[in-house]
Amino acid sequence: MLENFWNRIIDWFRDRSERSQLIRSFNDSAKNAFIIGEAPTLLKARISKGERSYRHQFSNWLNSGFRIQAFSGRQLAKNEIKQIGEVILNDNVLVRRLIVLGWDTLEIHGDQGIYGLRWQLKDYIALPQ
Amino acid sequence: MYDTVLIDTTKVANQVLSNTANEVTGYHNIWLWIAFIEFILILFLLFIRKKAESSSILKFKKEAKAGEIDFGNIINSSFHVKPLYDELKVKCHPDRFTDNAEKNQIALELFQEISKNKTNYKKLVELKELAKQKLNINF
Repeated sequence: MLENFWNRIIDWFRDRSERSQLIRSFNDSAKNAFIIGEAPTLLKARISKGERSYRHQFSNWLNSGFRIQAFSGRQLAKNEIKQIGEVILNDNVLVRRLIVLGWDTLEIHGDQGIYGLRWQLKDYIALPQ
Repeated sequence: MYDTVLIDTTKVANQVLSNTANEVTGYHNIWLWIAFIEFILILFLLFIRKKAESSSILKFKKEAKAGEIDFGNIINSSFHVKPLYDELKVKCHPDRFTDNAEKNQIALELFQEISKNKTNYKKLVELKELAKQKLNINF
Protein backbone atom coordinates (compact mmCIF):
# COMPACT_ATOMS: atom_id res chain seq x y z
CA MET A 1 0.00 0.00 0.00
CA LEU A 2 2.82 2.37 0.89
CA GLU A 3 4.49 1.55 -2.41
CA ASN A 4 1.26 2.37 -4.28
CA PHE A 5 1.03 5.65 -2.43
CA TRP A 6 4.64 6.48 -3.27
CA ASN A 7 4.15 5.55 -6.95
CA ARG A 8 1.09 7.77 -7.06
CA ILE A 9 3.11 10.75 -5.77
CA ILE A 10 5.87 10.09 -8.33
CA ASP A 11 3.30 9.76 -11.14
CA TRP A 12 1.70 13.03 -10.15
CA PHE A 13 5.02 14.90 -10.33
CA ARG A 14 5.92 13.18 -13.62
CA ASP A 15 2.57 14.18 -15.15
CA ARG A 16 3.04 17.78 -14.00
CA SER A 17 6.44 17.86 -15.66
CA GLU A 18 5.10 16.33 -18.89
CA ARG A 19 2.25 18.85 -18.99
CA SER A 20 4.69 21.74 -18.78
CA GLN A 21 6.96 20.11 -21.35
CA LEU A 22 4.08 19.68 -23.82
CA ILE A 23 3.04 23.32 -23.45
CA ARG A 24 6.64 24.43 -23.88
CA SER A 25 7.14 22.29 -27.01
CA PHE A 26 3.94 23.62 -28.58
CA ASN A 27 4.91 27.22 -27.85
CA ASP A 28 8.46 26.76 -29.15
CA SER A 29 7.19 25.24 -32.43
CA ALA A 30 4.61 28.01 -32.84
CA LYS A 31 7.22 30.68 -32.14
CA ASN A 32 9.71 29.20 -34.64
CA ALA A 33 7.04 28.85 -37.33
CA PHE A 34 6.04 32.48 -36.80
CA ILE A 35 9.64 33.74 -36.86
CA ILE A 36 10.56 31.95 -40.11
CA GLY A 37 7.27 33.02 -41.69
CA GLU A 38 5.58 29.62 -42.00
CA ALA A 39 2.73 30.68 -39.75
CA PRO A 40 1.03 34.07 -40.29
CA THR A 41 -0.27 34.12 -36.70
CA LEU A 42 1.53 33.43 -33.47
CA LEU A 43 -0.16 30.72 -31.41
CA LYS A 44 0.38 30.39 -27.69
CA ALA A 45 -0.80 27.53 -25.52
CA ARG A 46 -1.44 27.72 -21.79
CA ILE A 47 -3.32 25.93 -19.06
CA SER A 48 -6.77 27.24 -18.23
CA LYS A 49 -9.55 26.42 -15.82
CA GLY A 50 -11.48 24.21 -18.24
CA GLU A 51 -15.11 23.20 -18.23
CA ARG A 52 -16.22 21.02 -15.34
CA SER A 53 -18.95 19.26 -17.30
CA TYR A 54 -16.34 17.88 -19.73
CA ARG A 55 -14.59 15.82 -17.07
CA HIS A 56 -13.39 12.23 -17.63
CA GLN A 57 -11.48 9.63 -15.61
CA PHE A 58 -8.07 11.20 -16.31
CA SER A 59 -9.14 14.82 -15.66
CA ASN A 60 -7.18 16.97 -13.26
CA TRP A 61 -8.91 18.36 -10.19
CA LEU A 62 -8.07 21.90 -11.23
CA ASN A 63 -6.95 23.58 -14.44
CA SER A 64 -8.08 20.99 -16.96
CA GLY A 65 -8.30 23.32 -19.96
CA PHE A 66 -5.79 23.49 -22.83
CA ARG A 67 -6.17 27.01 -24.17
CA ILE A 68 -4.62 28.26 -27.40
CA GLN A 69 -4.55 31.96 -28.04
CA ALA A 70 -3.99 33.23 -31.58
CA PHE A 71 -2.21 36.58 -31.67
CA SER A 72 -3.58 37.80 -34.97
CA GLY A 73 -4.22 41.43 -34.01
CA ARG A 74 -7.80 41.18 -35.17
CA GLN A 75 -10.95 39.31 -34.27
CA LEU A 76 -10.74 35.78 -35.69
CA ALA A 77 -13.60 34.41 -37.76
CA LYS A 78 -15.37 31.30 -36.57
CA ASN A 79 -14.05 29.17 -39.46
CA GLU A 80 -10.44 30.20 -38.69
CA ILE A 81 -10.79 29.12 -35.08
CA LYS A 82 -12.57 25.96 -36.16
CA GLN A 83 -9.75 25.13 -38.58
CA ILE A 84 -7.12 25.26 -35.82
CA GLY A 85 -9.35 23.19 -33.54
CA GLU A 86 -9.97 20.53 -36.18
CA VAL A 87 -6.27 20.14 -36.89
CA ILE A 88 -5.60 19.50 -33.21
CA LEU A 89 -8.60 17.23 -32.68
CA ASN A 90 -7.79 15.11 -35.74
CA ASP A 91 -4.33 14.38 -34.40
CA ASN A 92 -5.07 11.25 -32.38
CA VAL A 93 -1.66 11.11 -30.73
CA LEU A 94 -1.98 14.66 -29.43
CA VAL A 95 -5.55 14.19 -28.21
CA ARG A 96 -4.62 10.97 -26.39
CA ARG A 97 -1.65 12.70 -24.77
CA LEU A 98 -3.78 15.67 -23.71
CA ILE A 99 -6.34 13.33 -22.16
CA VAL A 100 -3.90 11.22 -20.15
CA LEU A 101 -2.13 14.33 -18.90
CA GLY A 102 -5.36 15.52 -17.32
CA TRP A 103 -6.82 17.93 -19.87
CA ASP A 104 -10.48 17.61 -20.79
CA THR A 105 -11.22 20.89 -22.61
CA LEU A 106 -9.68 22.46 -25.71
CA GLU A 107 -10.24 26.20 -25.96
CA ILE A 108 -9.20 28.43 -28.84
CA HIS A 109 -9.63 32.18 -29.01
CA GLY A 110 -8.04 35.25 -30.51
CA ASP A 111 -6.31 38.16 -28.80
CA GLN A 112 -9.11 40.56 -29.69
CA GLY A 113 -12.80 40.24 -28.97
CA ILE A 114 -14.46 37.77 -26.68
CA TYR A 115 -15.28 35.12 -29.24
CA GLY A 116 -13.79 31.65 -28.88
CA LEU A 117 -14.58 27.99 -29.28
CA ARG A 118 -14.44 25.13 -26.82
CA TRP A 119 -14.38 21.36 -27.43
CA GLN A 120 -14.82 18.34 -25.19
CA LEU A 121 -11.75 16.13 -25.73
CA LYS A 122 -13.39 12.86 -24.73
CA ASP A 123 -15.69 13.10 -27.77
CA TYR A 124 -12.75 12.54 -30.10
CA ILE A 125 -11.22 9.39 -28.66
CA ALA A 126 -12.56 6.17 -27.18
CA LEU A 127 -11.62 6.06 -23.53
CA PRO A 128 -11.15 2.80 -21.61
CA GLN A 129 -13.93 1.89 -19.17
CA MET B 1 -2.20 32.78 60.12
CA TYR B 2 0.03 33.24 57.04
CA ASP B 3 0.94 29.54 57.21
CA THR B 4 -2.72 28.54 57.09
CA VAL B 5 -3.39 30.84 54.13
CA LEU B 6 -0.30 29.49 52.35
CA ILE B 7 -1.33 25.87 52.92
CA ASP B 8 -4.89 26.59 51.68
CA THR B 9 -3.56 28.39 48.60
CA THR B 10 -1.22 25.52 47.79
CA LYS B 11 -4.08 23.01 48.12
CA VAL B 12 -6.35 25.04 45.86
CA ALA B 13 -3.58 25.51 43.30
CA ASN B 14 -2.87 21.76 43.31
CA GLN B 15 -6.56 20.97 42.75
CA VAL B 16 -6.81 23.45 39.89
CA LEU B 17 -3.67 22.11 38.26
CA SER B 18 -4.74 18.48 38.50
CA ASN B 19 -8.22 19.28 37.10
CA THR B 20 -6.78 21.27 34.22
CA ALA B 21 -4.28 18.51 33.42
CA ASN B 22 -7.08 15.94 33.27
CA GLU B 23 -9.18 18.14 31.01
CA VAL B 24 -6.27 18.87 28.70
CA THR B 25 -5.32 15.18 28.45
CA GLY B 26 -8.92 14.23 27.64
CA TYR B 27 -9.18 16.99 25.01
CA HIS B 28 -5.96 15.86 23.33
CA ASN B 29 -7.08 12.26 23.33
CA ILE B 30 -10.27 13.03 21.41
CA TRP B 31 -8.49 14.99 18.65
CA LEU B 32 -5.67 12.49 18.50
CA TRP B 33 -8.18 9.71 17.84
CA ILE B 34 -10.07 11.77 15.26
CA ALA B 35 -6.81 12.52 13.43
CA PHE B 36 -5.81 8.88 13.59
CA ILE B 37 -9.18 7.72 12.17
CA GLU B 38 -8.96 10.33 9.40
CA PHE B 39 -5.47 9.14 8.51
CA ILE B 40 -6.65 5.52 8.29
CA LEU B 41 -9.61 6.64 6.15
CA ILE B 42 -7.33 8.53 3.73
CA LEU B 43 -5.02 5.54 3.36
CA PHE B 44 -8.02 3.27 2.80
CA LEU B 45 -9.46 5.56 0.10
CA LEU B 46 -6.10 5.82 -1.66
CA PHE B 47 -5.76 2.05 -1.58
CA ILE B 48 -9.23 1.54 -3.06
CA ARG B 49 -8.60 4.14 -5.75
CA LYS B 50 -5.37 2.50 -6.78
CA LYS B 51 -7.07 -0.90 -7.00
CA ALA B 52 -9.85 0.58 -9.09
CA GLU B 53 -7.38 1.53 -11.82
CA SER B 54 -7.76 -1.38 -14.18
CA SER B 55 -5.02 -2.69 -16.42
CA SER B 56 -6.79 -1.27 -19.52
CA ILE B 57 -6.50 2.26 -18.10
CA LEU B 58 -2.82 1.80 -17.32
CA LYS B 59 -2.24 0.35 -20.80
CA PHE B 60 -4.05 3.28 -22.40
CA LYS B 61 -1.95 5.73 -20.42
CA LYS B 62 1.29 3.99 -21.36
CA GLU B 63 0.40 3.88 -25.07
CA ALA B 64 -0.70 7.51 -25.10
CA LYS B 65 2.61 8.64 -23.65
CA ALA B 66 4.65 6.59 -26.10
CA GLY B 67 3.66 8.36 -29.35
CA GLU B 68 5.64 11.23 -30.89
CA ILE B 69 3.86 14.54 -31.52
CA ASP B 70 4.90 16.65 -34.50
CA PHE B 71 4.05 20.17 -33.33
CA GLY B 72 5.66 21.75 -36.39
CA ASN B 73 3.23 19.89 -38.63
CA ILE B 74 0.29 20.84 -36.39
CA ILE B 75 1.18 24.54 -36.58
CA ASN B 76 1.69 24.33 -40.37
CA SER B 77 -1.55 22.43 -40.83
CA SER B 78 -3.50 25.03 -38.86
CA PHE B 79 -2.79 27.68 -41.49
CA HIS B 80 -1.93 25.95 -44.77
CA VAL B 81 -3.88 22.73 -44.97
CA LYS B 82 -7.19 24.06 -46.30
CA PRO B 83 -6.00 25.49 -49.66
CA LEU B 84 -3.88 22.37 -50.28
CA TYR B 85 -6.78 20.05 -49.48
CA ASP B 86 -9.15 22.04 -51.72
CA GLU B 87 -6.67 21.84 -54.59
CA LEU B 88 -6.00 18.11 -54.16
CA LYS B 89 -9.64 17.11 -53.82
CA VAL B 90 -10.42 18.80 -57.15
CA LYS B 91 -7.37 17.65 -59.12
CA CYS B 92 -7.31 14.08 -57.82
CA HIS B 93 -11.02 13.39 -58.04
CA PRO B 94 -11.66 9.94 -59.63
CA ASP B 95 -14.28 11.41 -61.96
CA ARG B 96 -11.47 13.15 -63.88
CA PHE B 97 -10.02 9.76 -64.90
CA THR B 98 -13.07 7.89 -66.14
CA ASP B 99 -11.44 7.05 -69.50
CA ASN B 100 -8.53 5.14 -67.89
CA ALA B 101 -9.51 2.32 -65.49
CA GLU B 102 -6.05 1.99 -63.95
CA LYS B 103 -5.68 5.70 -63.25
CA ASN B 104 -9.24 5.81 -62.00
CA GLN B 105 -8.43 3.15 -59.39
CA ILE B 106 -5.27 5.00 -58.31
CA ALA B 107 -7.21 8.27 -58.09
CA LEU B 108 -9.90 6.57 -55.99
CA GLU B 109 -7.35 5.28 -53.48
CA LEU B 110 -5.55 8.61 -53.47
CA PHE B 111 -8.79 10.51 -52.98
CA GLN B 112 -9.69 8.31 -49.99
CA GLU B 113 -6.28 8.98 -48.45
CA ILE B 114 -6.66 12.72 -49.08
CA SER B 115 -10.06 12.76 -47.37
CA LYS B 116 -8.70 10.77 -44.42
CA ASN B 117 -5.78 13.18 -43.95
CA LYS B 118 -7.53 16.43 -44.75
CA THR B 119 -6.06 18.18 -41.68
CA ASN B 120 -2.54 16.75 -41.95
CA TYR B 121 -0.38 19.09 -44.05
CA LYS B 122 2.68 16.85 -44.13
CA LYS B 123 0.70 13.86 -45.34
CA LEU B 124 -1.09 15.93 -47.97
CA VAL B 125 2.24 17.17 -49.36
CA GLU B 126 3.35 13.54 -49.68
CA LEU B 127 0.07 12.66 -51.42
CA LYS B 128 0.55 15.59 -53.79
CA GLU B 129 3.93 14.21 -54.84
CA LEU B 130 2.34 10.79 -55.31
CA ALA B 131 -0.38 12.29 -57.47
CA LYS B 132 2.25 14.04 -59.61
CA GLN B 133 4.10 10.76 -60.19
CA LYS B 134 1.22 8.33 -60.62
CA LEU B 135 -1.45 10.48 -62.25
CA ASN B 136 0.79 12.97 -64.10
CA ILE B 137 -1.08 15.94 -62.68
CA ASN B 138 0.40 19.41 -63.08
CA PHE B 139 -0.11 21.49 -59.96
